Amino acid sequence: MADFSKYQFPKKVYLSGPDCFHLMLDLHARKHGAGGNVMRKVFYFQYRINAERIRHTLHQSPGMHWLCNIKLCKGFLFAKPFWKYRNENRQVNILLHEEVEEGLIPEMILKREMPVGSAAYIEVDILFFTSGKSALVFSWNHILIDARGSALFFEHLNRIADGTVDEPSALFPPQENEPGLWTYIRNMYKVKAFIEQSSHKPVSSIADKDLKIKKDNSRSLVISFSPEEAEQIQRSGIKAGSKFGPTHYYLSCCAIMIHRLLSKRGRPGPLWIPVPYDGRLKGGLGPLFSNHVSFIFYRFEVEQLASIPLIVKELGKQMTDQIRIRMPGKYNMLLNMMRHFPLWLYYFLISRTGEGSIASFLYTSTGENFSHLPVLLGEQVEHIGMVPALTFPPGFTFLFLKQQHGLHLNISYLPEVISEAELNFVIAEIKELLLHS
Amino acid sequence: MNREEISAILQQFIKTEILAGGKQIEENASLRQAGVDSFSIIEIILFIENRFNVLIPDEKLLPENFETLQQLSAVVHNLMQANP
Repeated sequence: MADFSKYQFPKKVYLSGPDCFHLMLDLHARKHGAGGNVMRKVFYFQYRINAERIRHTLHQSPGMHWLCNIKLCKGFLFAKPFWKYRNENRQVNILLHEEVEEGLIPEMILKREMPVGSAAYIEVDILFFTSGKSALVFSWNHILIDARGSALFFEHLNRIADGTVDEPSALFPPQENEPGLWTYIRNMYKVKAFIEQSSHKPVSSIADKDLKIKKDNSRSLVISFSPEEAEQIQRSGIKAGSKFGPTHYYLSCCAIMIHRLLSKRGRPGPLWIPVPYDGRLKGGLGPLFSNHVSFIFYRFEVEQLASIPLIVKELGKQMTDQIRIRMPGKYNMLLNMMRHFPLWLYYFLISRTGEGSIASFLYTSTGENFSHLPVLLGEQVEHIGMVPALTFPPGFTFLFLKQQHGLHLNISYLPEVISEAELNFVIAEIKELLLHS
Repeated sequence: MNREEISAILQQFIKTEILAGGKQIEENASLRQAGVDSFSIIEIILFIENRFNVLIPDEKLLPENFETLQQLSAVVHNLMQANP
C-alpha cells in the first residue's frame, strides 16, 4: 500500500460556487429520480489490459487517494461547505468484470450512484469482453471533478505511471480571495438582470415543465464519425463561419435540429442554452479537483434559427458580448456568494429559478481535451467513450467528444422527454446537418 | 509603436491573463499548443481593441493570424499603420 503520510494534502478544500451548484443538481436529480450526478469515462482497448499493473498505479496516485478519503462538511449557518481530508487508508474500489459482451457497459455501473456521504467519490471498473478486448471505466461524482479536470486527472495518472508524483499545488484549487460584501451584492444585481433578460419568456424546451419521470431511466446513444467525416465536419464549420474550432458549428446544428423537432411538435419558440466555459488558466497541470466552469448563455429567437451560418454568427456575437462584460466571471461570483447560504435556502432559490426549467436542451463539447490521449496507464487506447450525468430538466444532452480516431456525439436522454420516433428523427437529422450543411 | 513592442505587450497579457503559472510563450511558438483556446482568442481580441484601439475586421479573424505571437502582432501592427 502506498504511504501518503508525508504528502501535504490540504486539510480543507472549500467547494467552489459551481461545486455547490452541482451539489444542488445532485439533490434536484434525486428529487426528480433522474439518478446521481455521476460522470463516466470509458477507455476501450483492443486487447486484454493488465489489471494488476493498473491497480498498482492507481493506488500510487495521491489524487485518487484523496478522492477516497474525504468527507463533506456543510459548515454552520453562513460558513462555506468544504471537503475534509482524513487519511483512513481507503483505496479506490476496482471491480473486474469478466465475459462482458463487447461494447456493453454493465447496468450496475450505469446505475451506480455516489451521493454525498459515500465512502468514495470515484470508482473504477475493468471490463474484459468476450472478444478479448477490454475497457477501463472511471465513474466519479461531478461535484468533485469537471470535464477539463477529468482530462487533467488522466494526465496526472499517466505521470504516476511514468514515476512522477505531482505537487499538491498542481492538484488542488489555489486559495481564493473573496471580494467584499458590497462587490458581491452589486455583482448579483448585474447577473440577475442579465439572466432575466437572456431567459425571459417565452423559452421553448424539449421537456415539458410538469413532466413526471421514472427513476434510473436515463439512456444514451453514440453517433460516431470517422476521421474523414470529422475533417469534413470541421471544413463545413469553417465554411459556416465557425473559424476558431468547430464547437459553434456543432451547437448551431444541435439548435436548428431541436428547433425542427419543436416545430414538428407544433410549438417552436426561442431557445435558451447555457454552455459551459472552463475558467482555468490554460496550459497548466491543474487544478484537477473542483468545478471551474462558468457559463455563456445563448438565446436564439425563432427568426435567428433559420440557417446555420446565421446561428454561428449570432453565437460569435453573443459570446463576444458576454466575455466583453466579463459575464462568466460575474456569474461565478454569484455562485460563489450563494455557497454562503444554508444549503436548503440555496436549493430553494435554485429550484425556483425559471420555474424549474434549466435550459431548452444541454450542450457540451470536450474540445481538444481528449483529442491527444493515445495512452492511458501504459495501455494503448483504441477510443474513448463518455456517459455524462443527465440533468433533468431538460433531460436531454448533446456531448461532442473529439479524439484521435474521429468524433463521437453522445446523446443522453430520458425516454419521457423524447419518443423513439422523435429520437430516430434526431439521429438522422443531426448526422445530415453536421456532414452536409 | 513597432511590431516587436506590440508583440511584447501581447506576450505579457497572455502570460498573466491566459496561461497558467506565468508560463512564457515564445514569439514563434504555437498559441494553440500552449493552451490558447477559442474563448481565450476572444479575450485576446478584446484586449487588442482596448489596448491598441483597433478593431480586427472579420476578414482578418482567421486562424492563421492567431497561430503565433509574431503573426498576431504583425496583423495588429498593420491595422495600426492603416488607421493611425
